[in-house]
Amino acid sequence: MKKFLVGLLFIGLAFLLLINFAELPEEKLITFSLSDYYIGFGLEQTGALNLVTAILYDYRGFDSLGESTVIFAAVSGIVLILSRKMLPVSSHGLSFIVKRTLGILTPFIALFSLYVITHGHLTPGGGFQGGVILAAISIIFSIVYGSAFDYKRYSPELKTTFETGGALVFIIIGGLGILFDGFFLDNLDFLTHSPGTLISAGSIPLINIGIGFKVGAGLAIVFYSMIQKTFGEEF
Amino acid sequence: MIYLEYLLLLFLIIAAVMAVYFEDEVISIIFLSVVSVILTTLYLLYQAADVALAEAVIGAGLNTAIYMSAISQIREKSK
Repeated sequence: MKKFLVGLLFIGLAFLLLINFAELPEEKLITFSLSDYYIGFGLEQTGALNLVTAILYDYRGFDSLGESTVIFAAVSGIVLILSRKMLPVSSHGLSFIVKRTLGILTPFIALFSLYVITHGHLTPGGGFQGGVILAAISIIFSIVYGSAFDYKRYSPELKTTFETGGALVFIIIGGLGILFDGFFLDNLDFLTHSPGTLISAGSIPLINIGIGFKVGAGLAIVFYSMIQKTFGEEF
Repeated sequence: MIYLEYLLLLFLIIAAVMAVYFEDEVISIIFLSVVSVILTTLYLLYQAADVALAEAVIGAGLNTAIYMSAISQIREKSK
């Protein structure tokens, strides 16, 4: 009986959705869609060669602010629930060969993440992707060298400073938009050089740098507070 | 090129079924990471390089590490 009622509910819902979609206007009535507008005027209005970044941090900048607020709330919740003792407990890490190999590889990972963050308006990538690569460095340190090493090099206070600093950079740039152009998160046009160079696209690279450090530090905090009781007793 | 796309989609379905099929959690996590790698290649084939970068970093790298630490914590408590 319960299954019958649930099935009836779903059939009714599908019927209502069908009616709803049948009343949409015909596709050929729409002559000029929003994506045509972005492709046509995006480079001219923002100066960013990568249109995805132009949409994320310029046209839909307020949505990106909301997304980074969601990440901030998630990190705060996880730290509040999971971190009970602040002293790091750690294993001794993996073998000597893995440690030396990652010692050679880590600067290149850091360089690649900084490249993805700062060239977000020119090539594929942006603050979010580069920030997650930054967080991967901290995760590699925790797994390979043991989380005590990670605690000594990048303490949780430093990560917290980076996260709040990145969020503050985002909001301050948004406020500067009000000051110079009259709208929140408006593109700061006076920073723009010719399109295709590193210093172009107004405030998009600065927002990328802020979001990159914020996301990287936030995800590193999440992983650290999950791992700090994991490799327990052998230290 | 169209055959490569179909082959990758087939492997994607096989890897997803394998991730549900095995009872050991570690094997499931490895197969989820395989799903992410195949999805990254598919996104590159569809010329969505931004999404491919995010999928490679988050799906194959971060998710695996976080799932592994969570699974090892659960196993330690149940012993």
